[in-house]
Amino acid sequence: MSFLSRLAVKSSGFSCIRRMSVYPQHYAEPVVQKNKQIEQKSELAKLHHVPIKAAVNKASDTVFHDDTKEKMVNYITKKGNSALARSLLSKTMELIKRTQTEHMNLAKGDDKDKINTNAETLLKQAVENCRPLLQVTAIKRGGVNYQVPVPITTKRSYFLAMKWLLEAAREKERKVSLPEKLAWEILDAAHGQGRVVKRKDDLHRQCESNRAYAHYRWS
Amino acid sequence: MKMIRNRFGNLSRVSVQLQRHVQQMATSAAVAPAEGATINEFRTAVANPGEHSALQLAKFYTIPAEQKKQIFTGGGLPKQYELQIKTFTEACLMVRNPALELLEYIKGADLTKPVVRYVLYGENGTGKTLTMAHVLHYGALNDFLLVHVPWAPNWMKRPKEASNAAGQEGMIDLPFDAAAWLVHFKNQNGKLLQRLQLKTGKEYVWSKRESTPAGSPLLELVEHGIARIKYASETTAALISELKQLSTAGQCKVMVAIDGFNAFFHPITRIFSDNKQRVTPDRITLTQPFLDITNYDWTNGVCILSVDKIAMTEGYMDSYMPRYLLGQAGFEHLDPFVPVHVDNYTDKEFHSYINYYLDRHWINKTPQGFEEQLKFMSNKNPYSLMQLVRAL
Amino acid sequence: MALRVFSLNLVKTNRNLLQNGFKSPAPPTGHMAPAASFATEVTVQAAPAAVQKQKVSKAMRAYLKRANEHDEFMKTQHLEFQIGKRHLANMMGADAETFTQEDVDEAISYLFPSGLYDPKARPAMKSPDVVFPARKAAEFDETGRPFHSLFYTGKPNFFQLLHDIVEETNKLADLEERMLRRGNKPDENQKLEIDGFHLLPKDQLELLLVESIADIEYSNFCNSMDRLIASPYAYKSKTFIERFLKPLMDQSNQLEVPKPKIDGEGRQYITTYECLRKTARADVTVRLPGTGKISINGKNISYFEDENCREQLLFPLQFSELLGKVDVEANVEGGGPSGQAGAIRWGIAMSLRSFVDQEMIESMRLAGLLTRDYRRRERKKFGQEGARRKYTWKKR
Repeated sequence: MSFLSRLAVKSSGFSCIRRMSVYPQHYAEPVVQKNKQIEQKSELAKLHHVPIKAAVNKASDTVFHDDTKEKMVNYITKKGNSALARSLLSKTMELIKRTQTEHMNLAKGDDKDKINTNAETLLKQAVENCRPLLQVTAIKRGGVNYQVPVPITTKRSYFLAMKWLLEAAREKERKVSLPEKLAWEILDAAHGQGRVVKRKDDLHRQCESNRAYAHYRWS
Repeated sequence: MKMIRNRFGNLSRVSVQLQRHVQQMATSAAVAPAEGATINEFRTAVANPGEHSALQLAKFYTIPAEQKKQIFTGGGLPKQYELQIKTFTEACLMVRNPALELLEYIKGADLTKPVVRYVLYGENGTGKTLTMAHVLHYGALNDFLLVHVPWAPNWMKRPKEASNAAGQEGMIDLPFDAAAWLVHFKNQNGKLLQRLQLKTGKEYVWSKRESTPAGSPLLELVEHGIARIKYASETTAALISELKQLSTAGQCKVMVAIDGFNAFFHPITRIFSDNKQRVTPDRITLTQPFLDITNYDWTNGVCILSVDKIAMTEGYMDSYMPRYLLGQAGFEHLDPFVPVHVDNYTDKEFHSYINYYLDRHWINKTPQGFEEQLKFMSNKNPYSLMQLVRAL
Repeated sequence: MALRVFSLNLVKTNRNLLQNGFKSPAPPTGHMAPAASFATEVTVQAAPAAVQKQKVSKAMRAYLKRANEHDEFMKTQHLEFQIGKRHLANMMGADAETFTQEDVDEAISYLFPSGLYDPKARPAMKSPDVVFPARKAAEFDETGRPFHSLFYTGKPNFFQLLHDIVEETNKLADLEERMLRRGNKPDENQKLEIDGFHLLPKDQLELLLVESIADIEYSNFCNSMDRLIASPYAYKSKTFIERFLKPLMDQSNQLEVPKPKIDGEGRQYITTYECLRKTARADVTVRLPGTGKISINGKNISYFEDENCREQLLFPLQFSELLGKVDVEANVEGGGPSGQAGAIRWGIAMSLRSFVDQEMIESMRLAGLLTRDYRRRERKKFGQEGARRKYTWKKR
């Protein structure tokens, strides 16, 4: 609607249409975690004269904060129901812990120490194991769409890993609940087995086989 | 199973525990290495609730697996707690003040006087059911006959099947639930009944061809109820009246433990009669015997009840006080009673619980200051703490 | 582009003057660039009859006419303004000679009180120079030949400015090379202070240049200025740069921190009223020597069943490390659990400012605790399914 788009244009900034936002453009993002504030001290000193946006509802400086978990909750969220997503993830963590503790109780002697019951580190490890290093994009040359291997940013690789985990978890029978399936997938991935790691390996294999087209990036 | 911590100098008990331990080792696949004679600051080796005193406050004691199976197979421990037991491979209860208070009263009670009713009350998730479990354990070890209803609202809200009563007009029967309760009763009290050789006082006629003569053992009565589900509710009524008489006669001690007692007085149930009308609890045959046994017209026993907000339906959950939850009729029925308040953890108990979780490898993420944060987040409420810690 | 009236031959003699008119006014002091630097007026001077008349084109004549009219108009406006000021001074009983613009504003707001929201919509009496925007001086002479070499760009002042910036940048680059060859380094003490400043915003730059600028052009200006400022020898061009810098407000000292009061039991306390978030409204009291007790509407923290909401309440307390040391009492109504939690969180953070040192306040500000979250639910628009979601696009 034209009158609304006119409303959206503010005086500063050179992009034609800026999305409507309560905060003017020069407001800076808050840094909620205290340890991150200490890390970025020098950059934050420059913000002495810049107003800061309010911290979001989900953000808080708990001692239990974990970036991977927060991202995971966001990816599980559907229709803005992040409370439900959070509870699902905590059930997943619980299930992982239970399985691991049971393994530990059944193990003998030395093996006991090798079993990791920390669900968070297991999740992190699973994501690390499923991270692709390259991805393929379709590049059109001479009427043909070639699948060209292309480097990937770290953020995107983490995103892909978590997305694949969730996709694998959602392919299940009706009776099995998401936390259960997701717990199994995470445990598998953390030990380097399972569907998601296979998917990553397939992608790597495809990249390797399409090495010849790599120069199509620059044509 | 974890080996019971050995206490120096108590060899007879050690040998008993060792025997049990051998049995457990045979049944379970786990082999836990002995951790020496260390007593952690949050555990106590005193396994008999009868010997618990203020020394053992905020400490955990283990219920041996066999006894747990005997007492709690039909219910009595919350579902989440059962899961925890399975994961931690041991059933540990914390010794807390309300339980100690109750045990003191029971131990010091004069059993020749009419029965005293104790009512446990408190906010959601503070530990009423587990306190009752603690006292039940004591009762089982001290030759009390247990009349235990694990969760009374189950009968009102989720009956397996409701049918018209055979004997009485206009009353509703819950055959499967009654039969399940009789099985539970048998599990809990089988050995004691056999040992005491209790017999019925009068004859019970079920139908033209079936009857139980006077002087037959109680066990037979129970088994009849289990076998003939149609008469299960009536059998329960008969059984309970027999128990009252027998205990008044002095042949046995009875401990009545009912969780969610206020369900018997709450007018809204989910049971419908034939003409699709809601049925109030006083029209259900199963309520009668349990209301009967919580009267004070018998001796040689003790009554422990708990009133819970969750037993009510939506809209009636404003307060956790007994007077509000029981309503006028219930309060008059139970008056006079001894109220026992179950509250959130104290700092010491909280700390002890955290240590227990750490020991069981249940809390893995322990950054600095996590205990304080958990304390404030959960407000030291046991249930909230359990939920918060699940994901850590 | 209006022409002031000028005499024909006077133009030739004064061509230099006119050309240099907007290039070098007296160097401005401070950061305020005079808006009139690019707009000059040349007054009318009657030409003697003996001057040879030259051919004037139609366009020229039209311009002359318009400029004449505008000048006359401005003169009358000035006159009216002066008379009006005297009347106003008489009305207010003040001295007409020493009646400043501020007094005028005060008088108008007293005599014509307005409840309108936008200050620009309220009644005002300003000098005609302020009300009517500045116009450019003569841009081309009677033959039609423009004075400014960049006239045909359409925005000569702007492009001249960009050209200047580049010249300065090149000068500084040369200087840097020379110094490097000599082995000298830039003087650290004289480094340009740009922390508390930002570049002139687009509308103010437009006022300065008396020309309208496109967004892309403004961004070009910003980029070139940034490049100039980033040069290590930027302090040499300080005067040039400072014309285009504008000071920012010092954010963290924005709001006053209230002093704690003492209640009946001798404990310090602070109450923050009107803590709003979405539709929730809360009053929060924080008492200093406390045990970490939190009460909301009389209940403890289990008023919020959601774990996230409880975390939000504890967030400011944990951040400022006063978790077990203060008591919090809150009364909240309206909104849902998340809104109520947000309102109380803001209230706690604002109250804690009084019990914490400046460094911690700055930390809290950087964490976004002290900003009032004004986000509201965006309304649904017609022709769309929701606030942003459009109806499914069907090809046919």
